[in-house]
Amino acid sequence: MKKLFFKIFIYSILILLALEVYIRVFHLTKDYPVRYVDEFGVEKWLPNQDGFSVTGNRRQNFSEYHINNFGYNSYREYNPSKDKIEIALVGDSFIEGFHQNYYNSLGKKIEDRLEGKEVYEFGYAGYDLADQLHLISQYKEQFALIDYVILGIKFENDLTRGEYNIVQKRMVLESPLYKAIRQIKLFVYLNNIGVLDAPKGLVSKLFSNEKKETPKLTKLEEDKRRKESETKYLDNFKSLINTYGFDKTRFVFLLDSEETPEIFLNHLNENNYKYIDFSEAFKKSKKPPILIYDMHWNNNGRSIIAELIANYIKEMKSI
Amino acid sequence: MIFNSIEFFIFLLIVYFLYWFVFKKSLKTQNILILVSSYLFYGWWDWRFLSLILLSTIVDYLVAIQINGNDNQRTRKSWLWVSVIFNVGLLGFFKYYNFFVDSWVDMVSVLGYDIKSTWTLKVILPVGISFYTFQTMSYSFDVYYKKLKPTTDFLSFAAFVSFFPQLVAGPIERASNLLSQILKVRKFDYRQAVDGIKLILWGLFKKIVIADSLAPMVDDIFANYSTYPASTLILGVTLFSFQVYGDFSGYSDIAIGTAKLFGVELTSNFKFPQFSRNVAEYWQRWHVSLSTWFRHYVYIPLGGSRTSKLKSVRNIAIVFLISGFWHGANWTFIFWGAFHALAFIPVFLMGRNTIYKDSVVAENTMFPTLTEVGQVLLTFGIVTFSRIFFRSESITVAFEFINKIFTNFSYETYHHPMGYRMIDYYVLIFLFVLYEYLIRRDERSPFKFKSRIVRFIIYTIVILCLLLFYDSGFDRSFIYFQF
Repeated sequence: MKKLFFKIFIYSILILLALEVYIRVFHLTKDYPVRYVDEFGVEKWLPNQDGFSVTGNRRQNFSEYHINNFGYNSYREYNPSKDKIEIALVGDSFIEGFHQNYYNSLGKKIEDRLEGKEVYEFGYAGYDLADQLHLISQYKEQFALIDYVILGIKFENDLTRGEYNIVQKRMVLESPLYKAIRQIKLFVYLNNIGVLDAPKGLVSKLFSNEKKETPKLTKLEEDKRRKESETKYLDNFKSLINTYGFDKTRFVFLLDSEETPEIFLNHLNENNYKYIDFSEAFKKSKKPPILIYDMHWNNNGRSIIAELIANYIKEMKSI
Repeated sequence: MIFNSIEFFIFLLIVYFLYWFVFKKSLKTQNILILVSSYLFYGWWDWRFLSLILLSTIVDYLVAIQINGNDNQRTRKSWLWVSVIFNVGLLGFFKYYNFFVDSWVDMVSVLGYDIKSTWTLKVILPVGISFYTFQTMSYSFDVYYKKLKPTTDFLSFAAFVSFFPQLVAGPIERASNLLSQILKVRKFDYRQAVDGIKLILWGLFKKIVIADSLAPMVDDIFANYSTYPASTLILGVTLFSFQVYGDFSGYSDIAIGTAKLFGVELTSNFKFPQFSRNVAEYWQRWHVSLSTWFRHYVYIPLGGSRTSKLKSVRNIAIVFLISGFWHGANWTFIFWGAFHALAFIPVFLMGRNTIYKDSVVAENTMFPTLTEVGQVLLTFGIVTFSRIFFRSESITVAFEFINKIFTNFSYETYHHPMGYRMIDYYVLIFLFVLYEYLIRRDERSPFKFKSRIVRFIIYTIVILCLLLFYDSGFDRSFIYFQF
């Protein structure tokens, strides 16, 4: 029996090491760039990092990212000036675009469609409207030189708070423990493909005090709850705009009207907020606009968005 | 609790520890542990059905003692019938009751009478009922045929009936093999334990990498068969052939491997059936424990092949029809059994049903002959075709599926329903078949290579594949649990 346990122990270690090697050699899992909060209290990526973003067990989506001097994923550096026309894209992981090679990003696609314009991408996974407006206000000198600012917004995710605070939950990921864990690629891989879900679920089941299942809501209750959160999110929106201001001549939202409640669309329309709606264009697309392995835009989706933004800019210039 | 779950892994560790460290010194307590853990294992699904196992155990335990204690042949037979009626009755009620009612209603409606059946019941099929009822019945049969003395040790007998590694989907063990081991002191054997772990690993590979990864495509093609061209339908049923093999043989390997960890040897259930050279050889390699059961307790008592050719053919047909029906209460399974009978009978009439009994393809060479390749492909084709009946929801669907293959032959590239790369799966199946061909001589040693380094590399590749094809969102239960 001792021999069996000894061999199991030795083989387990050797197998784990071999798996670590396989995962590194075949680049089966993603790299994590380092995040930080800069001197203006803006959370972003530590400048000048390179790495790969990987999705799926078998590297079904593989792309390269490059964090520029400013701390965002982009092939270009940001030097806004009065002499050029610049467009800023501000938003979450959809704008950040780790799922596509940085040299073929949404910004690059827009530039290809608008000769001589520069597109600056301020995308960061998890950014909501508070993060976006806080960033713009903290870098107001730079943003003042940018001609168009496109803010990606998803109503149900991006308006959950009415004031800006540093999201500590995200910054915990930069603790020494998390950093050390991320060095073990096998662990990262197992976690990403869901192998650890079962043991995690079991542990949380064992230690969870909640024994009762959440009661199912009736349709009436669901409607009531939805309306309440819509009202709350709209209030958050108003509060953020009050705090940071909003230049309606240069700022425009990018949204999917299918996913946006009427109450918010009405508010935007009634108060002359401009928005680019990609819902129709996505519906009309013959090819799927979303990646297979997650909900982010694929190459086709990005091309559609780029086309819409480019058309909007052209339209605005002609006015 | 399924084999490929975290719960089973923890359960196995605890039972293993108790078995070899806490209850090591007493056979009785070890058997009690097997019994308790087996009931816990089964009760994890639905504890209510434990009463069925217990009842079946009590009935056959008492029946065997009664059979053995009587010299009067008629009384012995009557007791045997008690066992058969009870066990088949259990199956009949839980598995076939609604089928018979529905079939009767359909038959009457064909004759012009429209009746609305109120007799169908909402009966839940207890997991593994077809397996453990057959196992307990085999015990009564063996005692009846005087091949075995009944045991008076009820606990050990109950442990034999419910032995958790093979309780829910076999291998269906005969008491002469399993009960005899449960009644004897088991000693820890390093070699046996290592072989067990290897079989578990290989079983998990077959289940997770082969069966589970092919399942979404098979489900998609069979669910939407009317929209797909013939080429896709052929692909679907071929993938199902690999899926069902990976699923069931994977389960059997894990069962045999787990039993080995407890010092118990179960019978082999799969011997690389995909390399069979005719349908008869296929049945010597596929679900061996069930084929053996039918041979011993149905085919031979009916006269087997030691009777006229006509009667032998009748016996073969009966065995295949019952075997089909055993798989499920649906006409599809009866057709599947009938199809196999039709494929088997010509082989039998040509006297070729036993010629490959003790050999494998390319027995003494590296590569098979062209004839062997042809035979293997033909057998695989026949068996795969039969799986259309096995997999279809109803007999109408099965015939529509076949009709579409033959009347609408066209080719179209098939795309994975979730958009995954198809090439991954084609390469996977090719390498799997190639590897199984290399190890085809010994189904119990999937990693039998002399070089330790080669073995280690294979272990790591197998584990890497488990990760590469693991799908956390997939329902991972075993196909044969429904039987």
